[in-house]
Amino acid sequence: MSADNRLVIMANQMGRFFTPQRGVDSVAAIANHIGRFWDPRMRAAIVAHLAAGGAGLDEPVREAVGRLKEAKEAAR
Amino acid sequence: MTKIFVPCDAAARAVGADRVALAIQQEAARRGVTLDLVRNGSRGLFWLEPMIEVETPAGRIAYGPVTPSDVSALFDGGLLDGGVHALRIGRPEDVPFLKRQTRLTFARCGIVDPLSLNDYRAHGGYRGLARARELGPVGTVQEMTASGLRGRGGAGFPTGIKWKTVADTSADRKYIVCNGDEGDSGTYADRMLLEGDPFVLIEGMTIAGYAVGATKGYIYVRSEYPDAIRTMERAIVLAEAAGLLGAEAGFDLEVRVGAGAYVCGEETSLLESLEGKRGQVRAKPPLPAHKGLFGKPTVINNLVTLATVPAVMADGAKAYADLGMGRSRGTMPIQIAGNSKHGGLFEAAFGLTLGEIVDDIGGGTASGRPVRAVQVGGPLGAYFSRALFDTPFDYESFAARDGLIGHGGVVVFDDTVDMARQARFALEFCAIESCGKCTPCRIGSVRGTETMDKVIAGDRREANLALVEDLCQTLKFGSLCALGGFTPYPVMSAIRHFPEDFGRPRLAAAAE
Amino acid sequence: MSLVQEIDYGTPASKSADTVTLTIDGNPVTVPAGTSIMRAAMDAGIQVPKLCATDSVDAFGSCRLCLVEIAGRAGTPASCTTPVGPGMVVSTQTERLKQVRKGVMELYISDHPLDCLTCAANGDCELQDMAGAVGLRDVRYGYKGENHLEQAKDESNPYFTFDASKCIVCSRCVRACEEVQGTFALTIQGRGFDSKVSAGGWGDDFLSSECVSCGACVQACPTATLSEKSLIEIGQPEHSVVTTCAYCGVGCSFKAEMRGEELVRMVPYKDGKANRGHSCVKGRFAWGYANHRERILKPMIRESIDQPWREVSWQVAIDRVASEFKRLQGTYGRLSVGGITSSRCTNEETYLVQKLIRGGFGNNNVDTCARVCHSPTGYGLSTAFGTSAGTQDFDSVEHSDVILVIGANPTDAHPVFASRMKKRLRQGARLIVVDPRRTDIVRMPHVEADYHLPLRPGTNAAILNALAHVIVTEGLTDEAFVRNYCDRDAFEHWAAFVSEPQNSPEVVGPMAGVSADDIRGAARLYATGGNGAIYYGLGVTEHSQGTTTVMAIANLAMVTGNLGKQGVGVNPLRGQNNVQGACDMGSFPHELSGYRHISDDATRTMFEKMWGRPLDHEPGLRIPNMFDAAIEGTFKGIYVQGEDILQSDPNTAHVIKALASMECVVVQDLFLNETANYAHVFLPGSTFLEKDGTFTNAERRINRVRKVMTPKNGMADWEITLAIAKAMGFEMPYSHPSEIMDEIARLTPTFAGVSYELLDRVGSVQWPCNEKAPLGTPVMHIGGFARGKGNFMITEYVPTDERTGPRFPLLLTTGRILSQYNVGAQTRRTGNVVWHDEDVLEIHPQDAEMRGIRDGDWVKIDSRAGGTALHARITDRVAPGVVYTTFHHPDTQANVVTTDYSDWATNCPEYKVTAVQVSPSNGPSEWQRGYNEQADRSRRIAPVAAE
Repeated sequence: MSADNRLVIMANQMGRFFTPQRGVDSVAAIANHIGRFWDPRMRAAIVAHLAAGGAGLDEPVREAVGRLKEAKEAAR
Repeated sequence: MTKIFVPCDAAARAVGADRVALAIQQEAARRGVTLDLVRNGSRGLFWLEPMIEVETPAGRIAYGPVTPSDVSALFDGGLLDGGVHALRIGRPEDVPFLKRQTRLTFARCGIVDPLSLNDYRAHGGYRGLARARELGPVGTVQEMTASGLRGRGGAGFPTGIKWKTVADTSADRKYIVCNGDEGDSGTYADRMLLEGDPFVLIEGMTIAGYAVGATKGYIYVRSEYPDAIRTMERAIVLAEAAGLLGAEAGFDLEVRVGAGAYVCGEETSLLESLEGKRGQVRAKPPLPAHKGLFGKPTVINNLVTLATVPAVMADGAKAYADLGMGRSRGTMPIQIAGNSKHGGLFEAAFGLTLGEIVDDIGGGTASGRPVRAVQVGGPLGAYFSRALFDTPFDYESFAARDGLIGHGGVVVFDDTVDMARQARFALEFCAIESCGKCTPCRIGSVRGTETMDKVIAGDRREANLALVEDLCQTLKFGSLCALGGFTPYPVMSAIRHFPEDFGRPRLAAAAE
Repeated sequence: MSLVQEIDYGTPASKSADTVTLTIDGNPVTVPAGTSIMRAAMDAGIQVPKLCATDSVDAFGSCRLCLVEIAGRAGTPASCTTPVGPGMVVSTQTERLKQVRKGVMELYISDHPLDCLTCAANGDCELQDMAGAVGLRDVRYGYKGENHLEQAKDESNPYFTFDASKCIVCSRCVRACEEVQGTFALTIQGRGFDSKVSAGGWGDDFLSSECVSCGACVQACPTATLSEKSLIEIGQPEHSVVTTCAYCGVGCSFKAEMRGEELVRMVPYKDGKANRGHSCVKGRFAWGYANHRERILKPMIRESIDQPWREVSWQVAIDRVASEFKRLQGTYGRLSVGGITSSRCTNEETYLVQKLIRGGFGNNNVDTCARVCHSPTGYGLSTAFGTSAGTQDFDSVEHSDVILVIGANPTDAHPVFASRMKKRLRQGARLIVVDPRRTDIVRMPHVEADYHLPLRPGTNAAILNALAHVIVTEGLTDEAFVRNYCDRDAFEHWAAFVSEPQNSPEVVGPMAGVSADDIRGAARLYATGGNGAIYYGLGVTEHSQGTTTVMAIANLAMVTGNLGKQGVGVNPLRGQNNVQGACDMGSFPHELSGYRHISDDATRTMFEKMWGRPLDHEPGLRIPNMFDAAIEGTFKGIYVQGEDILQSDPNTAHVIKALASMECVVVQDLFLNETANYAHVFLPGSTFLEKDGTFTNAERRINRVRKVMTPKNGMADWEITLAIAKAMGFEMPYSHPSEIMDEIARLTPTFAGVSYELLDRVGSVQWPCNEKAPLGTPVMHIGGFARGKGNFMITEYVPTDERTGPRFPLLLTTGRILSQYNVGAQTRRTGNVVWHDEDVLEIHPQDAEMRGIRDGDWVKIDSRAGGTALHARITDRVAPGVVYTTFHHPDTQANVVTTDYSDWATNCPEYKVTAVQVSPSNGPSEWQRGYNEQADRSRRIAPVAAE
């Protein structure tokens, strides 16, 4: 699998864990997990992938990656 | 219809009882007579076997020893009415050998059909259990203690105390184990009961289970007793069918067959064997009463002990305890064997002297030669010379003379016996039967045999005899169980009482 | 230096709290009730002669040397089997006892060779000692009697010899095999004088028997009968050093018994708190790799992997590493290099490598091989309880009533702990096994699982949810525990979730291939059977749902209140010797030692101050991310200490591609491993025998590793890392590993109290070890969780994307075998190959039949990732549809077949589930042949030019 494809799979896997959690903000949890465990290059790549249409990303994950992008921009 | 009794006991069968039974049936058929042929147990008068009995209005009349060729003549002589014949013995109870006995444990043996529960009940069966149920478990244990009954395997441990220990030990499961691995030379009491009155054992074990809270029992029988195993198994099936064993009765029984090791008569080896392991002695403690079969509290008693329980319970502790002498209460089935004129089972209260047993009851030797030595208590029992014939038959008196009564076997030897060879035989027996666990027995028995060979061959006789005596000390104090620990009894008694057979000076006649 | 002498008390210690006072030879002695007279005497300093007694096994009472006399009691009872009684007056030396003991010894010696001077046990023989102690001067029986002196030796085992002529039939070996190891391979055959120790049945020898070569019998033998071959060859050791085994995560303590610089034997150390005097075939015997001829002792470099290696000085090699990494960072940027710490190395070495990378390379591209085994344990348990570690000590199992083993094969992978577990099971504890395979623990002598749930690989989380469903819906929840110690909202959400019908056994069972009744039975047993302990291994973690499953395990323990006391808990069985330690030491790219996130400013600042270097606040690359980045071209150089990533990481073709894409691969190892085939610098490593340090085992126990010989390569591993750092301009001021530990203690709250001084004093400690717990923490979460309230996460079962289909209809799962260890770099270079010299594929008879495969045939196994070939073994240990193999041999390269799928939270690879097809084959595949050719070419070492 290609590197981008692999990131999509990884992100969707996280999504499938966090989405069923109850009483928590799943999107925030996904974004937090990516933020804490992914190398900046990987985060940049997934953000770029979303910008390029985000093919294959599940809905809550798209939202989480979107928040990552906002957070990154806010940090600038 | 006339009832004729032909024993099915293995001792009777060995001398042709089956052929006699067949001949009787054929003869009856030929004569157009119908009769009821019952295969009973043996009364224990072995020199008269096959001893047949016929039921007459005057009671049972015995004939023996009967061969098939005698049958036709017996019929001619009016066998069915107890008629006269050269083999006619008369009423068995009048035979002095039986008349002198006090039969409690063997009360039914030779009288009843072993596999008839009706017979068993008609002769007092299940009275003991009924009384136990009246007394309750605690009362039953107390009754056993009060009776003074001690282990008939030889160790003589008070049965009531053993039961109390098990009763007082809490566990999810407890067992009753019957030691029927009767391996002592010249003993056959267990076998006679298994073949002649199996229900008494079932009742005895059921009482034991009730008293201590055990729900499962095992009867461990040596493989050399095929008839006994068969009869016992059938009896269990019959008892189960009658609701006397099984879920309803709250007690199950199972026969387990040994594999030919003498040491499995030792209680802890027996438990190992029952568990499916090598028959090897366990160190005590823990006692089987605390951690026995499969690690659970277990009553393990000799077969005769358990078969005596119904009699004790039925007639009460006092009746039993009134018999006997000293701390040996009740009766003991003495089994006379070897070179004896009247070999057989003699149940009597403790206290007869050895001389009475051998000379009066046994009638001296079968060979007609003088009695020289008697070994009491199996292959590990001491040899007694005539000088010791005043020894009363009870646990303490025999112990006081460096002997033991064991399981009640008395083996008679005449004056042709070589006591050095008997001493060697004891060591060789130990070597062959050793389980191999403890060092004194495993190696000592072999070294003892080799050294005794040197003594017999006259090789540095006195030094080697001294070495054997040293070895006996090691065996006696060092062995893990009675096999090695008791081997010195026959060896040392032979050396002590028959020194002339070992090249030492004969004892002064004054000692006699 | 001298031999470490351990006292043999003769019988095991009594655990009774009551005490008994008695008099032995005039001395008053007070001991716990149930203590043997023999042991009580030892407490009073009185040695009663003995041969069959040893304190690792229960008293047996067969030698009859230890007889004593007790006032008021007849006879001469054995002091080993007789417990003390209050007020007892015991004499151990009387004239009668003297005579009996002498008589017994005379018998022993009458059947024993008189070759003491040339005997391997000369000087270390209990029979010899006892003959002296009882004053035997003469054997009056002579030596011509029947004897065993002509008995044949059994030399079939590669490591020890059984010389029956020297056997005294004390049964210590047989009992050790039963009681200590629990294998029941040995027995006494024959009776009386013919009694002899026998391995297996008629016609068996030690090798063909069930013997697992744990060495317990050799350890127990009082004579030379069972002797290590190395001892026979070398002779008695003259000094010994206590150290820690470098194999699995049990962390057994051993005495390395030495003659000078030569290792004579490794003997398990009774005071080792993890192993309590026991060992397995690997730690006890498989240390010969340390001297193997293939071990590389000189640094080597080359410009490209097509060239042969050139031996160079340490200086040249270190300079090459430093200059290459500087060049790469100069050319491709700061983030273009990284490194991998090893769970095989010490805490100190691991700490140094991550320090080098964070401080010297200036990035956080550090990861550890724990990534591919237990990373989900860290994340999962940390989320649930607040600590990334198991909750108990190994002793805890002695208090367990129900043991649930899931995804672990302890008798193969953690044999010494398995023996302790089996002992508890033989005492009556109940057992539940959740595993696709019928592992040995499911049914072995005197151990049988009450429930074996042979689930389809990949359905762990579903089964655990179903177990929880039963517990919650049947009212088996420990309400008080949940109320007092757990987050109520999280519990309510979770309880509602597991109660949903899709988590019921009736729905999950058919999907996972397990009977619903068995799931219900197992759940009830675990919840109501007393102290319930869960032990798990890589069968839990190495899945797409690895972290989910760890959390589900934590949930199960919390809902039943099985935490915070002895006998319970969540117990990860760590694969390698220092998996726990490598994780603790800050080897993961996102966190510093003690599991503190790199983005935490306070923590990072503390490290920056101590190290004198600025640190990157962003997480770095994980191992699989490094491979991806390498292939992408942004990751160019790697320093790999003590891990063979090529053989051990999944999807070998992908790993090779990544390695081949890098410009500088530095491998530090004992051997030219598979990764080294793609390396440019090879730095020879040192063995655990050659260095000082600490390992942290699966129970958080920090054990000392002590140097017993000079590093054959000239430098200990920690010194190599130090040299690289220095060459890169990052000075690290240590003169001994103890100073590294001091720094770790200063920077890590859970290690604050740890020092070599403490470890030397008390043996070992379990972290947290600090002011609150100066001697460590055997059981965690007593009276509350580290994170505050226990956290129930919802563990919805998400099937892996790796699916079977028409092309790949079978599921492959992988594992380990007792005699081999992981990639086999060490064990393949020992006598252990007699038990396992190749990986084989286990396949169910039905699946074999359908494919025309017979037992022993070559078969090809293919997945979406790749294929290899190996021999088939037909067995119903695996269910239909499941195949199984080990990954110990590079000739097989089982990881050619495994895929890139990984755990959602940690990227731990999904080794345990690969869809495959199996078909008959004629021999090794093209790929294997090509691989071997490349390996042979790459391992060439250029001859040293004449000066």
